[in-house]
Amino acid sequence: MLHIYMAATDTTSLQKGSAELVLLAVLDGPPRHGYELAQLIETRSDGRLRFQAATLYPLLYKLERRGLVVGKWVEKSGERRRRFYRLTPAGKAMLRERRKLWREFLEALDQVAAVRQA
Amino acid sequence: MNWRGYVRERLPPLDIPGAREAEIVEELALQLEGAFDRARRFGATDAEALAAAAAEVPDWQVLAHALVQAERPVAARLPSAVRLSADPPAPGATRGAVVQDLLQDIRYAVRSFLRAPRFTVPAVLALALGVGATSAIFSVVRGVMLEPLPYANADRIVGVWESNVERNRPRNVIGPANFLAWTERNRSFAHLAMIGPARLSLMLGDRPEEVSGFMASSGIFPVLGVVPSQGRAYSPREDALGQHEVLVVSHEFWQTRLGGRPDVVDTTIVANGVPRTVVGIMPPGFTILGQKADFLTPYGWTIEQLRSAPGRGSSIGMARLRDGVTLEQASSEMRTIAAELEREAPQRNTGWSVTLVPVHEQMVEEVRPALLVLSGAVGLVLLIACVNVANLLLARSAVRERELGVRVALGARRGRLVRQMLSESLVLGAAGGAAGLVLAYAFHRGLLVLVADRIPVPRLDQVALDLPVLGFTLALALGTGVLFGFVPAILASHTSIGALRDGGRHGGSPRARHTLGALVVVEVALSLILLTGAGLLLTSFVKLQNVDPGFRAEGLLTARVQLPGARYDQAAAAAFYPGVLERVAALPGVQSAAGVTFLPMSGPGIGTSFHRLDQPEPSDGDAPSTQVRPVTPGFFRTMGIPQVRGRDFDSRDVAGAPSVAIVSATLARLHFPGEDPLGRRLAVAIGDGGDPGFEIVGVVGDIKMSALDVDEALAVYLPHAQLPFGVMTLVARTALDPLSLATSVAGAVQSLDPELPLADVRTMEGVVEATLARPRVVAVLLSAFAALALLLAGVGVYGVMAYSVAQRTQELGVRMALGATPASVFRLVLGQSLRLVLSGVAVGLMVAAGLTRLLESLLYDTAALDPRTFGATALLLVLTSLLASYVPARRGTRIAPVEALRAE
Repeated sequence: MLHIYMAATDTTSLQKGSAELVLLAVLDGPPRHGYELAQLIETRSDGRLRFQAATLYPLLYKLERRGLVVGKWVEKSGERRRRFYRLTPAGKAMLRERRKLWREFLEALDQVAAVRQA
Repeated sequence: MNWRGYVRERLPPLDIPGAREAEIVEELALQLEGAFDRARRFGATDAEALAAAAAEVPDWQVLAHALVQAERPVAARLPSAVRLSADPPAPGATRGAVVQDLLQDIRYAVRSFLRAPRFTVPAVLALALGVGATSAIFSVVRGVMLEPLPYANADRIVGVWESNVERNRPRNVIGPANFLAWTERNRSFAHLAMIGPARLSLMLGDRPEEVSGFMASSGIFPVLGVVPSQGRAYSPREDALGQHEVLVVSHEFWQTRLGGRPDVVDTTIVANGVPRTVVGIMPPGFTILGQKADFLTPYGWTIEQLRSAPGRGSSIGMARLRDGVTLEQASSEMRTIAAELEREAPQRNTGWSVTLVPVHEQMVEEVRPALLVLSGAVGLVLLIACVNVANLLLARSAVRERELGVRVALGARRGRLVRQMLSESLVLGAAGGAAGLVLAYAFHRGLLVLVADRIPVPRLDQVALDLPVLGFTLALALGTGVLFGFVPAILASHTSIGALRDGGRHGGSPRARHTLGALVVVEVALSLILLTGAGLLLTSFVKLQNVDPGFRAEGLLTARVQLPGARYDQAAAAAFYPGVLERVAALPGVQSAAGVTFLPMSGPGIGTSFHRLDQPEPSDGDAPSTQVRPVTPGFFRTMGIPQVRGRDFDSRDVAGAPSVAIVSATLARLHFPGEDPLGRRLAVAIGDGGDPGFEIVGVVGDIKMSALDVDEALAVYLPHAQLPFGVMTLVARTALDPLSLATSVAGAVQSLDPELPLADVRTMEGVVEATLARPRVVAVLLSAFAALALLLAGVGVYGVMAYSVAQRTQELGVRMALGATPASVFRLVLGQSLRLVLSGVAVGLMVAAGLTRLLESLLYDTAALDPRTFGATALLLVLTSLLASYVPARRGTRIAPVEALRAE
C-alpha cells in the first residue's frame, strides 16, 4: 500500500526521489564512469533529462556513502584513470523497491489526474 | 586546458580529508573536460565550449555545500547521542588529517592570493619593504652599537680625557706631563696607556708609502687585554727613547704589505727613515676604538721629556679599571688628582679636570644620534607597513564576508574558518618575509656602499646581515598578519549568517569601517612624522651645502707630505718645502702652489690660546683660543681666500726675521674693535718663539676651519718658515682636472727625496664633500624612508577608499538614481577621504612637533619646528592622499544606478 503525503507546493522530495531513481536505473548494468552516466541519462531521455556535474556527483557520492553504489578507479592503457561505478546488491534491491513505488505512484497519478491521456 | 586547476581555483575548500577532495576534483575535472570536448565535436568554438563546460556547475558554493552534505558520514547525520558511541579516531589518523587540512588551507590561500593580485601585491610589497629596511638598519645598529667589543672584559676599559668645562671642551686630548702624573698617582687603574694617531712612511720595495697606525705606550696591550698572535708585545722598557724602534703590526698589514711571510717577526723594516724591528703581529681584525691600525709603536720619550712637555698633544688616555673599582670611584679619584695638578702647574692646568668615558660609549656616541634617528625612522616604516597590511586584510575580510557566510552555512566549523584565515595570514607573512629577505640583502649592500669610506662608522666592515634581527622583524610582520587576519576571522565567523542574508551587499559592518578609518588616520600620522623629519634634515642639508667655506674649493689639488723626523730636523724641514713648492708650481697646468700644516676641514689642527701684547695677560685659563695654521707664501691666493688688509707672507718672513702673523677678519674685528690691527702684536702660545709677539702684517677672510657647520672664525696664520712642521699639505690650483696632476706632483716631491710618499691625494672639493658625508647619508636614508612611508600611505588610502566605494555601491547608486550628479558623488568620496587624511595630518603634526626635537643635534640652522617644513610636508601628504583617492572616487561616479539597485 503506497501512501504519499504531499504538501500543496512542495515538489522537492519528489524531484529528489526521481533523481535518485534515474541514477540508480542507469547504474543497473555494466560499471560506468560519471560522464558516461550523464550521457546515458541524456540519451535515454532524448535530451529531456540532463544531469549537470553539480547534480550528478553529490548524488552519486551520497548513494555511495549509503552503500548502494560502489566506485572503483580503473586505469585503462592509454587513457586517464576514471572512476567506474556499479550497483551493490543493496543498490539493486533499492532500485527494485523504487521502481515499484514509482510505478504505483504513477498509476495513482494517472487515475486521478489522467497524466497519460492518449 | 588544465581542468583540474580550473576546478581547484573555483571550488571552495570542502573541509573533508584532502585525499578525498583530490578525487572529487579529479572527477569533476573529467566531467567538465567531457562537456568541453563534446561541445567542440558539435562544432562549438573554444569560448562556446568553455561556456558549456562552465554550465556544468552554475554555482560553486552550492556545489561545495552539496558535496559536503553528501560526504558527511552517515553517523554524522544521526543525533549526537548516537554519535558519541562511535570510536574516537586513531591519533595517527587525526594528525595526518590535520597536516592534510593544513596543506589544503595553504593551497587554497595561495590560490586565493594569486586570484587577487590587487590585494596581494601591495600587501606583500608593504611587508617586504618594512622587513627589509628594518633588518638592514637594525643590523647596522646592532653591529655598531650593541655587539660587545672584541676586547677582554671590555666594560672595564675607559677612555681618559682631559676636560675643561669653561672652554666647552668636555673631551680634550691629554698632556704628556699630566699622563705621567696620573700614572704615578692613580690607584684606580690596573693599567693606563697613552695612545695617539701616527703615520709612518715605509719603503716597501722601491715605492715609498704612508701607513697609519698608533703611537701607544706599552700599557695599551694589558689595557685592551689583547696580545699579539705572533711574536710579542713591546715592554715598558721599550717605551723609552733609544729602545723604542720596535713595531707591532696588524695581521692585515702583515698579509698585504709584508707578503704574509712567516719569518717576519724580528726582521726590520725602514719606517720614517729609521730601521724598526717588527716584534709582533696582532690577531686578525684587531682595531683600536673601531679604527684599523696598521701598526703600534712606542712614543720613545724620556721621563724628563714627558714631564716637561708643555701642552696637550694629540693623544688620549686609555685605562683598565682595577678589579672592584667602579667608574664613579675612578672618576672621583682622577678628579682629585687633576685638582692637585691644577695647583701644582696652574699655567698648564687651570680649569682642566679629567673625564672617564666607557670605551664602548666613546666609540658609538658620534654615530649614535644618527643611528637612533634612523632606527626610529625604519621602525616607523615597519609600523606603517604593518598598518597597511592590517588595512588590506581588514578590507579584504569585509569583502569576503559573503564567502565566509556561505561556508558557515555549509557547516564549516568556526574554528576551521579561523584556522583557514590564519593560514592565509601566514602565507602572506611568509611571502612578505621571503621578499623582505631579498630586499634586506639589497638594502644592506646599498647601505654599506652608501656609508663605506664616507663616514667613519666604527666596525662598519664587521656588520653582517643580522639573522636575529631578520627573524625579529619577520616575526613582527607575521604577528601583524596573524593578528589582523585573526580578528576579522572571528568577527566574520560571528556575523556571517547576517552577511549571507543581506546578500553581502551591505557588508562592512560599521565596526570594520571605523577600524579601517582609524587605521588610515594612524598611517597618515605615522607617515607625516617621517616626512617632517626627512624634510627638516633635507632643509638643513641644503643650507649646510650652501654654506660658504670662505675659499674656492674647485680646481684645487691637495696632498700631504710628511718628513721623517729622523732625517729632517726643523731647519731641514723649513728648507725642504720651498723647493718642493717651486717644482710643483712649475708643473704644466699649475697656476699656483702653496702649503699648509693641517689642511682646513680635514681633521685635527692646532688650537691654542693667545692675547694682545699691548693688553695685560689674562689670568691662567682665561685667555681666548684660536686656530693656528703655519702656511707658506701664496697660500691665501692659491686657496682663494681674500686678502682683506696688509700683505701676504713673503721671502722676508724666515727664521730669524721678526715673527709675523696674519689674522682672520673676525679675530681682527673682535679683538681690535675700531682699531687698525696692522702692526699690533699678538702673543700666541705656540712653539718657542714670539716672545716679542707676532706682529700682525695682514688680515684675511674667515674660512671654515674644521667643518661647514662649525663656526670657528678666529684664526692666526704664521709663516711656515718661522714655525716649520715636519708635515705639510700641498695645495695646487689648476684649470685642469686636479687629480690629473697627482702623478706629476708626486714626481716633483720624489725628485727631491725618493723615499717620501704622497698621502691623502684629494681634491679640495672632495675634502669639503667628506665633511658633508654624514648629514648627506642621514638625509638620503631618512628621505628614502619617508618616500617609502608616503608610498605606503598612498597605497593604504587607496585601498581603503576603493573598498569603501565598493561597499557603498548601492548607496551611491541610489543617490545617483535620486538625481545626484557624478560631481557630487566625486566630492562625497573625496570628502570622506579628506576627513580621514586631515585627522591623520592633525595627529601627525602634533606627534611630529614632539618628536622632531630629537633631531636637533643633526640639524644645521634649521628649527626643529620649522613651520615651512611642517606645512610643506603636510601639504604633500594631503595631495598624495587625494591622488590616491582619485581613482576610487572616479569609480564611484561611474556606478550605474540600475546596476547598483539590481545588486540588492
